[in-house]
Amino acid sequence: MITSLLRLGLIFILLILLQILLFNNIQFSGYVNPYIYIMFILLLPVEIPSWLLLLLSFATGLIIDIFSGSPGMHTSASVLAGFVRPYILRVISPRDGYELGSEPSMLTYGFTWFFTYTLLMVLVHHTALFYLEVFRLADFFGTLLRVLLSSLFSMIFILLIEYYRRGR
Amino acid sequence: MRNLLNFLVRYNNLIIFLILEGVAIFLLTSANSYHKTRFFNGIRGLTVGIETRISNTRNYLNLREINKTLAEENTALRNSTGLPTDRTNSLFFSVSDSGFRQQYIRTSAEVINNSVNRQKNYFTINKGTRQGVKVDMAVTSGRSVAGLIVSCSERFSVVMSLLNLDFRLSGRIKSNGYFGSVSWDGADIRHAVLNEIPQHVAVNVGDTIETTGFSAIFPEGIIIGTVSDFEKIGGDFYHITISLITDFRNLHFINVIGNMQKTEQLLLEKQFQ
Repeated sequence: MITSLLRLGLIFILLILLQILLFNNIQFSGYVNPYIYIMFILLLPVEIPSWLLLLLSFATGLIIDIFSGSPGMHTSASVLAGFVRPYILRVISPRDGYELGSEPSMLTYGFTWFFTYTLLMVLVHHTALFYLEVFRLADFFGTLLRVLLSSLFSMIFILLIEYYRRGR
Repeated sequence: MRNLLNFLVRYNNLIIFLILEGVAIFLLTSANSYHKTRFFNGIRGLTVGIETRISNTRNYLNLREINKTLAEENTALRNSTGLPTDRTNSLFFSVSDSGFRQQYIRTSAEVINNSVNRQKNYFTINKGTRQGVKVDMAVTSGRSVAGLIVSCSERFSVVMSLLNLDFRLSGRIKSNGYFGSVSWDGADIRHAVLNEIPQHVAVNVGDTIETTGFSAIFPEGIIIGTVSDFEKIGGDFYHITISLITDFRNLHFINVIGNMQKTEQLLLEKQFQ
């Protein structure tokens, strides 16, 4: 119990540092900004109470917001992601249901399951984030392209990190 | 009462969600009136220490390049002023000669936090009200446009970058003087858009676009970029793509320019609006 808490804390700090120091500085051609910090919300234990999940999402978003100087944007996208997570988990639950006390990782439930899970979560989060950022519906499809391309790259990075985690 | 409690228990996560989302949206919308929020400055104060450290490291890695651009700029300035000594220091430099009516004051500052990957980009510089920086002063990098001061604390200021959907600037084609409005379309950090140039005007690829000085913020004749592409769209105006001179990804030292006669000009113009 204590070790898993410590591990989550460590993942949290690592992801935030990666996001602020590395990924916030990545930019290809104005369309791609990977946001990998939501991986923390992905990796919280399956049976976490929803109020705690929401509060942790809020805190994650707020920290990213403070460090990237964009009040509210990441916070509201993360809270939304935290809110839909239980529903997504229910929709894509494996045939035998979830094991008690397991974390939703690639190791436990396999690549395909983790891929679908990440895809849905990243899409929800990025859609909210990018439309809140422009805060207008003009150039709807331009923003949509940004959402899709950034989601693709966030997915790639999240899957790579998860793959690396599995290898250990 | 029991029903109410049941209701709260049943929908507790929806209620928490709505509350937290409400807080987030409140932060988001109140930040839109950017320079009015004290909240934002407070938060900035917390992270400025870390950002300064990051920026110091980054500057150290880029020292060679920075030195080169600074040396080039110094040479250009010496050539243009003809002054025998170098009188630039960290404070605003003003000429105390009553015969010379100075219009613009300048100072230089260092960029300590920068972003280019958002739709509304801002950067932070390490001078504030204590050094005489005020809201609505112009910010240039080298000889080209970089942004506009939107918020000041005692020692720091936040600059709205040209790479911001809300940024508007009056710009003209240097060769023939026709002016229009320069803005950023959010697509590419190396290009901006010049609108409102009528279609009977001759435009060529490579034409220089510079500021007009109409807004009483930017001095006249500061370079914005060169025409990289233009097309006739519906209506009577060109859609001109400008390739920007400033490299926003590589912004380290900038100049702040204040217009000493701005209040006078704006007061006069106000009478006719």
